[in-house]
Amino acid sequence: MRYSPARGMARAISLVTGMGKKYGVEWWILVAGALIILAIVYMALFPASIAPFNPHNQSAGPQLVPPGGKYLMGTDNLQRDVWSRIVYGSQTILRVAVLAAIISSVFGITLGLISGFSGGFFDRLISLIMDSLYSFPGLILAIAFAAMLGPGVINITVAVAVIYIPTYFRLVRGQTLSIKEELYVEAAKAIGSSGSTILWKYIFPNVIATTAVVFTLNVADGIMIEAALTYLGLGLPPSIVDWGMDLSMGKKFLPSGVWWLITFPGAMISLLAVGFTMVGEGLAEILNPRLLER
Amino acid sequence: MRIGKLLLLGTIIAVLAVLPANGFAKETLVYGTTEKVIDMDPANAYDFHTWEIFYNIYQGLLRYPPGKTNLVPGLAESYDISADGKEYTFKLRKGLKFTDGTPFDASAVKWSIDRVIALKGDPSWLVTDFVASVEVVDTHRVKFILKNPVAYFPSLVASVPYYPLNPNVYPKDKIVRDPSELKGGKLVGLGPYKVVSFKRDQEIMMEANPYYYGEKPKNDRIVIRYFADATTMRLAIEKGELDFAFKTLNPSDINDLEKSTKIQTIKAQGPYIRYMCFLCDTPPFNDKVLRQAVAAAINRPPLLNKVFLGQNAPLYSMVPMGMWSHIDAFKTILGDGNIAKARKLLASRGYSESKPFTFDLWYTPSHYGDTEVDMAAVLKDQLDATGVMKVNVKSAEWATYRDNWKNKVMPAYLLGWYPDYIDPDNYTAAFAGTAGSKGLGIHFSDPVWDQKFVEGQTETDATKRTAIYAEIQQMWTDEVPTATIFQGTLYLFAQKDIRGIMLSPTLQFNYGPIHKAK
Amino acid sequence: MRNLTRYIITRVLLTIPMVFILLSIVFVVLRVMPGDPVSAMLGGHAPESVIEQKKEEMGLNRPMVLQYADYLWQICRLDLGESMVFKQRVTKAIGEKLPATIELTFFGILITLFLGVFMGAYAADKRRTVQDYVIRLYGIVVYCIPVYWMGLMLQLIFGIWLDVLPIAGRTGPRVFASTFEKTGFYLLDTILVKDFSAFGDVLVHLILPAFTLGLVLSGIFVRLTRANMLDVLRADYIVAAEARGIRHRKIVYSHALKNAFIPILTMMGLQIALLMAGAVLTETTFSWPGMGRLLLERIYLRDYPTIQGVIIIIALIVAMASLIVDVIYAIVDPRVRY
Repeated sequence: MRYSPARGMARAISLVTGMGKKYGVEWWILVAGALIILAIVYMALFPASIAPFNPHNQSAGPQLVPPGGKYLMGTDNLQRDVWSRIVYGSQTILRVAVLAAIISSVFGITLGLISGFSGGFFDRLISLIMDSLYSFPGLILAIAFAAMLGPGVINITVAVAVIYIPTYFRLVRGQTLSIKEELYVEAAKAIGSSGSTILWKYIFPNVIATTAVVFTLNVADGIMIEAALTYLGLGLPPSIVDWGMDLSMGKKFLPSGVWWLITFPGAMISLLAVGFTMVGEGLAEILNPRLLER
Repeated sequence: MRIGKLLLLGTIIAVLAVLPANGFAKETLVYGTTEKVIDMDPANAYDFHTWEIFYNIYQGLLRYPPGKTNLVPGLAESYDISADGKEYTFKLRKGLKFTDGTPFDASAVKWSIDRVIALKGDPSWLVTDFVASVEVVDTHRVKFILKNPVAYFPSLVASVPYYPLNPNVYPKDKIVRDPSELKGGKLVGLGPYKVVSFKRDQEIMMEANPYYYGEKPKNDRIVIRYFADATTMRLAIEKGELDFAFKTLNPSDINDLEKSTKIQTIKAQGPYIRYMCFLCDTPPFNDKVLRQAVAAAINRPPLLNKVFLGQNAPLYSMVPMGMWSHIDAFKTILGDGNIAKARKLLASRGYSESKPFTFDLWYTPSHYGDTEVDMAAVLKDQLDATGVMKVNVKSAEWATYRDNWKNKVMPAYLLGWYPDYIDPDNYTAAFAGTAGSKGLGIHFSDPVWDQKFVEGQTETDATKRTAIYAEIQQMWTDEVPTATIFQGTLYLFAQKDIRGIMLSPTLQFNYGPIHKAK
Repeated sequence: MRNLTRYIITRVLLTIPMVFILLSIVFVVLRVMPGDPVSAMLGGHAPESVIEQKKEEMGLNRPMVLQYADYLWQICRLDLGESMVFKQRVTKAIGEKLPATIELTFFGILITLFLGVFMGAYAADKRRTVQDYVIRLYGIVVYCIPVYWMGLMLQLIFGIWLDVLPIAGRTGPRVFASTFEKTGFYLLDTILVKDFSAFGDVLVHLILPAFTLGLVLSGIFVRLTRANMLDVLRADYIVAAEARGIRHRKIVYSHALKNAFIPILTMMGLQIALLMAGAVLTETTFSWPGMGRLLLERIYLRDYPTIQGVIIIIALIVAMASLIVDVIYAIVDPRVRY
């Protein structure tokens, strides 16, 4: 066989180390972040293979036992296994953060492209609205939206998505404005390309690179906001397993010496956010090394 | 050099923090609670904490002695009832004055009641449902003319909306939320204490009222400190920063404090109940068999273990334990976690494992404390365990929750109840009488039941009343407009040297007798 | 300087439509939410007719456009209205809570700057060494730690296990705010009445919340300072100073840092929004009676005027902070054109 798995692995590893030599530490940061994300995504996709119990199982073990033995991260007051809840909880947070980022980016990029390209009154109006939203603390708006929409995974996703649209909008609009002046765009206009062709064929591809960085950082932020919303109780019914909610339910046991109900959910939220941030930062430094010092 | 300055600054701060607080000239007791005060107006206050404060700064014509459930004279020395039971004439104590010097007399009583009726506040129905009018007979005699004879009218008169207020200080036509709105900016009453300062959600300072006619309080000053979260309050009482703490600590904190040798625990059976309501005039729960099935599947003791770490008591009837006429109706007829019965009842309606009975169960996440999420999760688990039910748990914040039951959105939902007056009528008619039931979203209506409620209200013979309510409780397990879950236990924690605390099922809590043992 | 005044005026004028847009969005969102202030306030006993009547009285049943127009007119007269739930002027409610938030965020900023700037300078100085990478990692990781989790962990360690610091509130249970409160800035008030043990108590209560808030935002400043310092450290005058034999530490922390500082300070303006968001979560965790908690409480109670008022104030604070910071930058750095 010409292509064996071992050969494939070796080639992959040499590829990765090659990039590492070329880009230095930033590449390894990206790789580390990607590994973290992959691990947690695996947790989300195949929870049954990792979690020893059903997260809703209220007789998994004795009440409020500390981590150890059969219960890797202990049990809660409803006798559920904390580790299993962590594993399944990854689904909720990933789903909300990634979906919200996708929705935000689609709306934000589209609006940014159109607005930057067409200019005029429409552009100024939308820019004003977006600027107002952008400068305002996102969490507070998200709280207002989440309170309005009520509990539910979709509702939280929408609340998180709405506050990031301005970020994409500003980025893309700015880039659109400068690319608009480029020579090849003028040339395209000269040969009679329609507006939408110019938009999607010439401008859009140039905008993608930076939005990729913003996307990953956006997911990291989305994770933080989702956890904050569910922590504040704006959230989800008990049939959904969620790290932020488990954290807020667990904090009342703190003075009794029960530390494991908050330590693990909090650590996981941080870890996942760090993963995406590392990928984002690494990507940023590799794609645009002149923007950041070496 | 800079390090040196920093060290000096740090030392100064440390010393300042450790300096003892100013010694209190008077004996001051600090009382911690997580409750909130909403309106400082008896015409609109409708929560137990505000009522508790009023028990201490105002007084009613009749009152409960600390820790007891029998009525004794308060501002009124005695009363007479007319032969038809519709007129109550109260003879007021002479020589009483409000703290600003205004004399207390019958016209003040009439003025206060008229004001409650006119302002239509939250608890005003406690007056308007029963009282047709009030008449001043002479300076010290006032007559209440009722719409119908009511057996428990005296316990109504002891409730806060009936408290006489000072006409010179309270505005006649609006509800007072904050003492600063009153003339003179201070709360002026007839009770053992007067309010010295009021900072909403932070503290209320009360001192002994020099004009009080009765026994002087054993302490000079009481300060209520408001805590936004129970964990901080637990730590405060443990560290000795509070003299006593009441309502509401987390179950894990209650367990730890009970076991602690440094803190004394004072427990009492509370009058507050929790239960599941059903929307009785719409499918699926217009079918009483399904309501019975759900009630049978509820398993109270394990629920209390999981959610409340074993605290509180399982409740088997809407009439709480400790009240006369209570019987453990649900226990004997439907049982706890009676999976066999639930399955049988559901089978009779065609439900099976392949075709389970599916419905939405609603709860409200913060109004009753944050244990509600757990309670809903455990109930779902218990109902699903029958194998023939599938429960979807949904939640809504209190404002939306109320909207929902008005709009008949929730087929089954969790609710709680604190009594307005100590009588089985308050725990039954309000839920299953046609008018009350509609108001709470249950929409149960049966003329036989309504007839029974009227009998219970108007009957004056105690034995006969007991029999009526016993029968109503039996009927409850058949029709199941609500399924009861538990009755709350009151926990108060105090430092070892505190004496004189008396809790009562009336939830009346008097600060007067409390003092530090020397 | 005429240009500067014009710049300031333009910026201030720009703030108005922005606040107005935010306000409108929030106004609509609130009215569309299910539930209303009357239902939120009443317990289970109140009859339906009473609720409807009260809603009528408060004008909640009128068409939204009318309510909106009324509110705008009110705002133009600089009147934030009255709470629908507590019969309190919104400005009074905010006035009670704002000083608490300001005290918290002020000390939070101090800690952020202190930690972030010194660590960033140190990292820039020790470029490409292990210390540098560790500090850069800190910069990334610390921002990803949820503020409330950090708060809870600090409460656990310092408040419960070690029991050296208080974990909630602005004063201890036996320190009564009514004895000294005047401006709302407790540190000031306690000094004014010369109650020094209360002063110490208030200060000690500030430590954990301010540290939590400050720590989480310090990551951003670490990265910013480092980036700026790296630029500055490459400058000629730095090389000259080294050549003259000035002590290295003095060069980095005195000369270089001072020059890097202004751009860092201007970055503060952008972070105010984050600071406010962090303050909401910190206030919840530490039961701090500030505007963040006020907002959450009133959202729960559907107290529309107070919610709208708080959002306006926050928007104004953020706008003003950005403006002040931009103006300072414009004055100080002659390269900036306005």
